[in-house]
Amino acid sequence: MRDLQVTLNQTQRVRLQSAIRTLQELSSTSSSSAVAATVAVADVIPVNLEDGILKGHGTSEVDGQLMATLCGVVERVNKLVYVRALRARYKPEIGDIIVGRVIEVAPKRWRLEINFTQDAVLMLSSMNLPDGIQRRRTAVDELNMRSIFEEDDVICAEVRGFQHDGSLQLQARSQKYGKLERGQLLTAPPYLVKRRKQHFHHLEDYGVDLIIGCNGFMWVGEHIETGENDMLEDQENQLEKDGNSNAKPMGSQDEEKTFTPLETRRHICRIANAVRLLSALGFTLSLEAIIDTVKLSFSSNISIKDMLAAEFYVQTAEREVQRRVSSSKKKA
Amino acid sequence: MATAPTTYSPSQALERRQQQQRRRIFKEEDWVRSDGRGFNQCRPAFLRTGAANAASGSAYAEFGTTKVIVSVFGPRESKKAMMYSDIGRLNCNVSFTTFSTPIRGQGLDNKEFSSMLHKALEGAIILESFPKTTVDVFALVLESGGSDLPVIISCASLALADAGIMMYDLVSSVSVSCFGKSLIIDPTAEEEAFQDGSFMVTYMPSRKEVTQLTLTGEWSTAKINEAMELCLDACLKLADVMRSCLKEAANAG
Repeated sequence: MRDLQVTLNQTQRVRLQSAIRTLQELSSTSSSSAVAATVAVADVIPVNLEDGILKGHGTSEVDGQLMATLCGVVERVNKLVYVRALRARYKPEIGDIIVGRVIEVAPKRWRLEINFTQDAVLMLSSMNLPDGIQRRRTAVDELNMRSIFEEDDVICAEVRGFQHDGSLQLQARSQKYGKLERGQLLTAPPYLVKRRKQHFHHLEDYGVDLIIGCNGFMWVGEHIETGENDMLEDQENQLEKDGNSNAKPMGSQDEEKTFTPLETRRHICRIANAVRLLSALGFTLSLEAIIDTVKLSFSSNISIKDMLAAEFYVQTAEREVQRRVSSSKKKA
Repeated sequence: MATAPTTYSPSQALERRQQQQRRRIFKEEDWVRSDGRGFNQCRPAFLRTGAANAASGSAYAEFGTTKVIVSVFGPRESKKAMMYSDIGRLNCNVSFTTFSTPIRGQGLDNKEFSSMLHKALEGAIILESFPKTTVDVFALVLESGGSDLPVIISCASLALADAGIMMYDLVSSVSVSCFGKSLIIDPTAEEEAFQDGSFMVTYMPSRKEVTQLTLTGEWSTAKINEAMELCLDACLKLADVMRSCLKEAANAG
């Protein structure tokens, strides 16, 4: 989200610059091996080849020297040397939780856009059916695929694995996966999302669900009880009823179900703006950071739209400096 | 009154005379270039990455009055060719704005630029690193001030690097014009219009490999050697400028 443009006045600019400088100093002192970390394409990476190093992603050996084939930061893990690209697409790993958008309903599968180089595939067979029974998928199921997910639906799923041709397979074998409704989809650079144990968060104070997808897609929406999450079942029942030709018109109950209280909507927007702000500043998108930003906005009485304005932008940067200073003090 | 023109038009004769005069100047041994450069002196280069937000990588290049913006999209799933391929596809497109040339809409006839850009870049990109997918390179010439293709190629390789696409090396490109006995590096549009021959090299400096070489007009072997040396030296220096531009972007971001 590089499109967030803030116009800073003179004092704000000075404050922001000093905050960024402190952050840079902190990061350079914390990692003692800050030796010419950034490389451009075809830069020589200084290594001792006799140590038996492993050449990783973004490197190639030319004339006995290790050269970068990417622009980015050199990372060393024991003997492995690789280049982490600064602006690259999402690289999936098995077990990642991702948020994606359906772009095509194909035979027995959905195609999803997940910010990977290729479209991801969610097979009908790697999905729990709405009725919850394990059985072979029939032709009828295949015909009813659009009643589960349609084009442009936002979906949450897990990376299942790669096929031999490199294409990506997803699965959604639990109640917590599936269609996401009544909320906002946000996109951020994937490198800002770190892999954690927990990617689904229920923010009880706000009645909001936050899903931080490993692919940099994030979902902020109204909280839905997983137990009650039988929307799909309902649809299925509805279909059966349609078959019995006694489809009743949308009752008041259904209307209530699709209604989101204004307060929750405000919370959704506030959290969404916090995510936008953090990704514009280039800070890691962890739950703690997002909650902290939201709380800061509440405590300093910032309205939702002003969260993306200059003053709060600088405040958030300074807040991050404080946090890192205090955490480094704790370590010392 | 039969000879009187119906509307005003600039005198053709005057223009022709001016052209002839210019041609005569270029024939001479010693003349001064319109922008006051030496024969072996390139125009100052201005390069920046991250010019377009929507693209996965982009770059802007300004060499004198030649201004180019290149955006790179992808790697993304091939829509056209759905059949399996082990290596990725590169798709290049060069277009000119209608206001890029002094006469409106004149720059649009450079159809071969797209394929030449493709040829120059395909050797530098590690296509094996993204099977089944396509990388799209769109170059837009905002102002055409001479040596357009070399500028486009250099700018495109910068944009590819910005997009995080695996490459063997950066590609830098420089052209040379021949006027009688003298060689002129990085010619302007005016000089290109009167040149006797042109020579363009695209080069990967760290690998010492040439990805493309274009030669038009009559050249002697000695002349080619001289032009080649001139170009390779300039390419090497241009690559350093490109490299520092990428480093700057990495440290700022």
